[in-house]
Order: sequence, then C-alpha cells, then structure tokens
Amino acid sequence: MSDDADAGLIDRLVLRDERAFTALVKAYERRVFALVLRMIGNPAEAEDLAQEVFVQVFKAIGSFRRESKLSTWIYRIAINLCKNRSKYLRVRHTGEQEPLDAQPERAPTLESRGSYSDIARPDDMASGKQAERIVQKAIAELEPSFRECLILRDVEDLSYEDIGEITGLPEGTVKSRIHRARAQLRDIVEQALGEKIG
Amino acid sequence: MTDAGDDQLEEDPRGRDAMRQLLKRALSVEALAKESPALVAGVQRRIRQRSRGRFFADGWGTTQSRVSYLLVGLMTLTVAVAAYFALGPWALH
Repeated sequence: MSDDADAGLIDRLVLRDERAFTALVKAYERRVFALVLRMIGNPAEAEDLAQEVFVQVFKAIGSFRRESKLSTWIYRIAINLCKNRSKYLRVRHTGEQEPLDAQPERAPTLESRGSYSDIARPDDMASGKQAERIVQKAIAELEPSFRECLILRDVEDLSYEDIGEITGLPEGTVKSRIHRARAQLRDIVEQALGEKIG
Repeated sequence: MTDAGDDQLEEDPRGRDAMRQLLKRALSVEALAKESPALVAGVQRRIRQRSRGRFFADGWGTTQSRVSYLLVGLMTLTVAVAAYFALGPWALH
C-alpha cells in the first residue's frame, strides 16, 4: 500500500470508519500473520495474536502521529505483543500463575499444529526439510531481542532505520544484534548439520 | 564490549547470503503453517465484543456497502406505496 493510500486510509480510520478498518485488515493481514508466526512459531498462537494486533491498531489509531509509516507502526504493535505473549508463554510453561486479568484472550477452539520445538518429525527425512527444522529450532533458541532484529532484517527485508523505529533501538544496536544473531544462528545450524554453510 | 561496536565486524557475504536464504525458506508461512488465515471476521468479533456493540454491531457496515441500506429503503418504500394503492381509497377493483 502506498504512502498516499495509507494517508487517506488513516484519515478514515481516525474517524472510526469500519469499512476503512476492514480494508486495512485485508491489506495487512498476511504480512502481520507472517511476522507474528515467525516470531512465535505456532500457527494457532499466531492467528490469535495477529487478530489482537488489529484490535490494538483500531484502539490506538487516534494516537498514531504519522511520524513513521503506517506499516512500521503496525509492525511495532505486533512486535510488542509478540514479546508480551512470549513472556506469558514462558511463565505458563514454567508453571507460574499470572493474575487472570493479565492473561490474553484465547481462542480455545484453535488447535495447535506444532511449533519450533517439534524438530524430530519422521516425514522430514529430506535434507532440505531437515535443515529448515534445524533453523526453526535454532531461531527459537536465540534471545528474543536478537531474534526480532534478525527476522525483521533477513526475512522481512526491512531497513535498519525501520527496524530501529519498530524496536525502539538505536541503529547501531540493531546492526550489532543482527550481526550477533547471524553468528549465533550459524553456529547452532552448522553444529546440527555437521557442515559449513556457504 | 558495547552493542554498537559490533557492527564493524566483517561477515563473509557468501555465507551470509546462504544463511539468509535458508532462514527465509525455514520461516516462510508455507513452512510454518498450512495457510495464512483470513483475520477480518475474528478481528471484527473482538472489537464488537469489547466495544459492547458500538463498532461492527452487525454485518452491514463490514461486509456490505452502504448501497444495501439504500436498496432496502427503496424496496420498503415501494411495498408501502403498492399497499397504499392496493388497499387505500383508490384501490383497484
């Protein structure tokens, strides 16, 4: 979506135009779902979270100051929600309890179809698929702040400037985290594959 | 060592490109999920519930254009006029 089209859309969104909002969801749903899925690794969680991103967009559009691109602002909301959800999932997995009102809305009918942790699958004998599984597991092992910078740069192809706006980090820190994330990822993957990449 | 200091480090471009390709394949939507779901209905439902029906209160404003309102209005008017002529003082006998 072009910046001009975005500007017109934002004007209507601020007025709570429902059709404009539906158009926004349709325009961005694939990108938002893909980003959240890459960050979380679980399709059911990603669908739930991607919907939540748009709810937050609807709530907060009045505070959007147009200093950044609309897509960057939406990505920032998505990344922040991913961080919160990851934290929540970690707490839940370690058996700790959170106050009920702090828990995000869930979609109980959605069935999890697996996550990054499912590495050993019998149908993954082909080496290409196996390499992909290894990379998925390696990504999950990275520190979240490194993972988000790496995904935004190497998978989403965003500029350092945009990544800085999304994460709230200085550009130098973004570059540094990407560099370290690549090195960590490469180490894990090469160790698992038993061969050098490239 | 500061974070900012690390971006001066050299990387092997060939290895980096190969790793990036692998990463893109591994994190493609197709590799992680069966499909990219349509989110509109779920998002509208959440907003409707949380706004207690203030937004997306029915399917009209979301799935159909405003032409629908006009169409139903015209149809209602037509039925009312037809009923008036059929049953009123100038009813056809």
